[in-house]
This record gives sequence, structure tokens and C-alpha cells, in this order.
Amino acid sequence: MSRRRVLVVWCPDWPVVAARAEEPGHEDTAPVAVLAANAVVACSEAARAEGVRRGMRRRDAQSRCPELVLVDHNPDRDARAFEPVLTAVEQLRPGVAPLRPGLLAVRAPGRFYGGEEAAGALIAEQLVRAGVWDCRLGVADDLFTAEQAARRAGPQETVVVEVGGSAAFLRDLPVGVIDDDEVAGLLRRLGLHTLGDFARLEPDDVQARFGGYGAKVHRLARGTDPSLLGVRTPPPELECEVRFEPPLDTAEAVGFSVRRTAERFVAQLADRGLVCTEVLIEAECDDEVASSRVWAHSRWFAATDLVDRVHWQLRGQLRTTTGVTKPVQLVRFVPDTVEPVAAHAAGLWGGGTDERVERAVARVQGMLGPHAVTVPMVQGGRSPADRQALVPWGERPVGLRPAELPWPGSLPPPAPVRVFAQPRPVIVVDERGKLVLVSQRGVVSAPPVRFRAVRQPVPAGRGARRAADVPDGLGDDWQPVGAWAGPWPVEEQWWENPASWAARFQIVTVDGRAWLMTCADDGWWAEAGYD
Amino acid sequence: MIAKCKHYVRPSSLTPIEHVFDDGWVTVRGLEQAEAALAGAGLAAPPEPVAVLPALRTLLGGLRRGHAVSVDASGVLPLALLAGATAAGAWSAMVGFSEFGVLAAADLGADLGRVVVVEDPGSQWSEVVAVLLTSVELVLVRPPAPVGGQLARRLVALARRNGAALVCAGDWEGAQTRLHVASSLWVGPDGGAGHLRGRRVRVEASGRGAGARPRSAWLWLPGPDGTVSGADLEAIESAPAELDVAG
Repeated sequence: MSRRRVLVVWCPDWPVVAARAEEPGHEDTAPVAVLAANAVVACSEAARAEGVRRGMRRRDAQSRCPELVLVDHNPDRDARAFEPVLTAVEQLRPGVAPLRPGLLAVRAPGRFYGGEEAAGALIAEQLVRAGVWDCRLGVADDLFTAEQAARRAGPQETVVVEVGGSAAFLRDLPVGVIDDDEVAGLLRRLGLHTLGDFARLEPDDVQARFGGYGAKVHRLARGTDPSLLGVRTPPPELECEVRFEPPLDTAEAVGFSVRRTAERFVAQLADRGLVCTEVLIEAECDDEVASSRVWAHSRWFAATDLVDRVHWQLRGQLRTTTGVTKPVQLVRFVPDTVEPVAAHAAGLWGGGTDERVERAVARVQGMLGPHAVTVPMVQGGRSPADRQALVPWGERPVGLRPAELPWPGSLPPPAPVRVFAQPRPVIVVDERGKLVLVSQRGVVSAPPVRFRAVRQPVPAGRGARRAADVPDGLGDDWQPVGAWAGPWPVEEQWWENPASWAARFQIVTVDGRAWLMTCADDGWWAEAGYD
Repeated sequence: MIAKCKHYVRPSSLTPIEHVFDDGWVTVRGLEQAEAALAGAGLAAPPEPVAVLPALRTLLGGLRRGHAVSVDASGVLPLALLAGATAAGAWSAMVGFSEFGVLAAADLGADLGRVVVVEDPGSQWSEVVAVLLTSVELVLVRPPAPVGGQLARRLVALARRNGAALVCAGDWEGAQTRLHVASSLWVGPDGGAGHLRGRRVRVEASGRGAGARPRSAWLWLPGPDGTVSGADLEAIESAPAELDVAG
């Protein structure tokens, strides 16, 4: 049996490349940083030369490089921009598996293109022609090693790790390459600085101490893991597509016409004992992919779910000027992640409730739109609003902050039961009726004695909601303060004014309600209610 | 339970099951037959109520399926009921809670993996609630406006048919049980020092019908660790010393 080899293509700083491609106008040499949640997720070479690094806060990055161009992170944009790259590689070698935007894997071509290096050069050439000049390739026996090889290649270069040479290649790499900060950090604390050091540990100890992923890397470093790409890449013949003649120009018409194809798609997978949990839906106009989106399902996709997703995807994009501007000619379903039915057997045969919930949620989504139904999640952060997230049902949560980390400055429990999406303006005064102020050193001008809400109108930009939305118990009558605690300085950027300074208070009224209020440069705000 | 309620009856050729859900009056006997038929078809709600947190069991044994419970329009009670139901494995939906304190619910013990949130159903409020009542075991609603009597009855009928419990934050016409916080005292803050630690409340439950007499219980809602526990005098005496209730 000939060994299956893996070729990985890595495009560094992909979020930057994608942002540049979709928002032209910046010079190619200008330093660019892509930010998510106020931290740098990717930056261009020019920015890196100025000292900008991943994970840096916005302010720090700007202080290193004042002319830095800031772009918001948009995973959808990254995925969209990566689409032509996938297509370009696919033309040479079918069965491309995108790992994430900027990184893809494909089974390495053997002798067909005259060896692995020649094949790599050919793919690089194809990608340069597609407009991606910084692509780096790696070929190895397994995915992990191939990715590491690609990361060590120069632009448009291919690093080939010999058959059976993974262990030797990995031996000298620092443990930081392990894509799990906890494992990597632990190894460093143990004084193991390279994967070679790690490889010398006993396998049993590793399994117990480092979990599944650590054990896998360990086996790779020892050269004993034969696992190959392919477990998650479904065979390409499971794709289904439907062509419309003449092309259709409404989402409803497309949704109606893809039903049979969706059923065939699900049935084909079922014949192989598979269900699809992530699917890529593409729509073509004029022989070009005009809309492409990966949808995830918390269980698995049934035919009706697929029809819904097509409908939402097109309805969202047909209205806009970008994306689908012409009648839709073709819709294609590509299985992105498939799992054996066995893993879902309980859902298929036993747990009826989940299926009922899925169906009901799909109906509500059909009434209100895909983002109207959400799943609550807890995340890390300091203010109550930062500590929670509502993730649309069926979507994979992206960019949640880890809740386990210590968040200095976060509030001690108990957590407030009502968290206002937008803070409400309030007035808090002392005994003589003067507004309570807090100095930069955290000294309160006088104890707060009473407060009242400021009646709307809310200034524009504070997200004015309906007038009836004034929370219960926060009316514009004066309320006496029964007890209070604070101030606690607010460490993070207070609302939208980065230069300001703010402090939090907990204020209890005599009728037994408690509020979380913030004193900022621009007045007092109620952020949350404990009752 | 059955004998106490009035029931719709409309003699017709409908099967007993349909009797219950249609608009006509059904006799008590018809309802019993219908429930038996449902049970035979495997469709009837399991008789046990939707679970509540242990600390609340002195007030109500559980959330009866097919019944509506009205709680204070704002506050911690809806989250406590959500926590009890999801912790026991029941799927729950929250409709119209635009200020949902997710962390507080998690601290109370809610299993967030079983919560569906519809923040703003807009004008389709009743349709959304109706769909959710057919599929999850507990639906918590915060209606944008008072719900009319007819709509309220129809939704409760739908809940009964699907074995769901309905909790309304606010008044609900015909609610079988009302829960409300009768008095509340926060402990912790003291003239700028300290921070909120817990709240001792007296929760009152009142029911409808002859047999129902008001009950009340002293609770930590929430306690210093975010959970709910009893706050009766005996419980307080064995409580952690940091909770200085006298202060």
C-alpha cells in the first residue's frame, strides 16, 4: 500500500489579505492590523516590522505604529476571500479540505506532476496567478507535520518532509507550535522546550496528563502516528448540485427548486451511514460562485434544514448590492463535515425532544429570520454585558472570550439578573442634590443619597430603543439609596469613548432592588439590575 | 385536578383527543377519556411536573404541565425556574427577555445548552410562543403587552396538549399559581465598603381554587455563591458566618 501524503497550503496573515482584497484603497505596503474584540488577530508584514504583534490591544498597537490601518475582523469575509484559493488548488487536485481560512490541505499528488516539489511549485504558480502571492506549502506524512513544514517555508516555496521523516522533522521544533496553549505552557513549565524533549516522555504518562490532542502530538513526535488526512474530508462525489434553466431571481423560487436536490444529498450520505453536520452551500450566477457559506447544525442536516439554509443565505444576499446580484443559475451542496450515523444514533432513535426542538426552532427561524433564535453562552469579560453572548442557533460560536481566565476588575458574584444591552442614563445625587462625582483617584465627592432615571430621548448612537423599554423600577421619580458599595475603577474602555475614565457602583434602594451603575465622564449610567 | 376545572364540551364526531383541543366544551369524562387516549398513543405528557430548584419545592412541588404560572415582571424568579427545569434536563425557551442575565442563570444552576432564546419576537409574539409550546417543556414569556383572555386560554390549552408548562413574567389571566417576592433585603454593601453578597427574600406562592392557600418561604435568592437556598431561621443559623444578616 502506498502511503497517502498530505500537502498543506498556508497563506500567512490571511485576514489581512482578505481585508485588502475586499476593501481596496490602502497601499499594499501600508501597515494593516485586523482587530477582533479590541485585540489584534492578524497584521501585515509592515505592521509587524513596526512591532505590532498578535494579541496586542488596539491602543498598544497604535502607539507602536501610529499610521496603522485598522480593520474589523470578519470571519465570513476571510472565508469568502479564501474561496478562489480553494478553487485554484482544486483545478489541479480535487478533494481540497479547507482547514480554516488561509489554510487548506489536499492529498499530495504523487508522481503525476513529477514529484512533490514540482507539484508544490505548480500549485504555488497557480495561486500566484489567482492573485495570492504569499503562499507557503508543506508536504508530509500527516497533517500536523505538513502544516509545520508549510509554516517553515518561504513565500511560494515548498518544504517536503521525507516519508517516515516526520519525527525527525518535528524533533527540533519548539513546543509552542502545539495549537493548545495549555499543553504548550505546561510543557514549558516542565522544562521541555522542543517536541523532541516531549517525545522522550512515556506514552502512558502523556495520555493521562495531556489528553487526546497532546497524546496525538506526542505520537507524531515519536513518529508512531500513522493517522492521515481524510477522516474529516468526505469523498467529493457526495456533492450535489442543481442547475436552473432559466436562472431564478428570488430566494423563494430557489428554495422551492432545491428541495429534491437536498433530499438526494441527505439520502446519498445516509446510504454511506453518514450524516452531515456542516455543509457548504454555494450559489452561482454567470458561472461564478456568487454566494458561499458554511452552515453548521447542532445535530445534523435534514433535507428541510438545507432548504431553509439556502433560503436564508440567498434572501440575505439577494437584497444587497454585493454578492448575488444576478439570477441564480446553480446551487451546490458540499458536505463540509460528516459524521457516522452511529455518533448520532441516540438523536435518531431515542431522544425525541431534541428533534422536536430543532423543528420548532426551524419554524421560528422561518418566521423571524435565522438570527432571531439564539443560544445563551457565558464568556469571559469584565462588565456584565461582556460576560454573556447570545449565539444564533445552529451557528458555531466565534470569538468568545474564555470564561476560565481571571478577568481582573470583573465584578464579584452574584451576577445581575438583568443586563441592559445599552446602559440607561441616570442621575445620582448627594444629600444637597449635587451630582455625585468620582475623582481619578477613586474618591467619591459625597455619598449617593438618591437617584432617578433620565427620561429618553436617548442621544443618537446610544442605540435608542423603544420608549416603553425603560426597565421596571428605574423610573424618573427620585428613589432613595438604601446602601451602596464602590467605586470600582472600570479597567476596560468605557462604552465608546476610549479616553474616558469610569467607576462602578452597586446601589441598593430601600425597596430591596439593587442596580449596577457606572459614573463616567459623561454622567451616570445604569448597566444592570440585580432584581 | 380534573374535577376542579371547567371544561369545554362540544359533542360531535371528533375523536376524544380532538375534543380537548378544539374550541367546544368537553365534559370531564371526555377529558379523562382524551387523556387516556393520549396516554395510550404515547402522546400524553408524563404526569410528573417540570422540576423546580430544591429550595423552591416548599412553595410549589413543580411546574404543572398545562398550567400557567405568573411571576414578578422583573427579577430573579423566571431565571430560578429556568435553572430548575433545565438542570433536570428539560428544554426551555425564553421569549421576550431582552435583559436576560445569562451569567446569573448559569450561577443559579441552569443548563444553558437546553435554553432557546427568542429575544424579540416582534409582532409575531403569539405565533412564536405557540410553536415553542409544542416542542419544549417550559416556555417563559415576557409579553410586550398584557395578553388577552382568549389568547391566554388558547396558549394554555396548547401547553396542556403538549405537556408544556408556561411561566409568564407579569400578569397572566387565569394563572393557576402566582409567585412573587414579598420582601427583599440585600446584604453586603455598607456605606461604600463591601459588595453585594446575597439577598434574603420572602417569596409568596398563591394558587387559584379552594384548596390553594398562600404559602411563603424565606430564601437566599441569590445566595453568596449565586445559588438559591433556604433562608429560614434554622437555615440561617447554620449559614456561613460571612452573611451578616443583622447588618
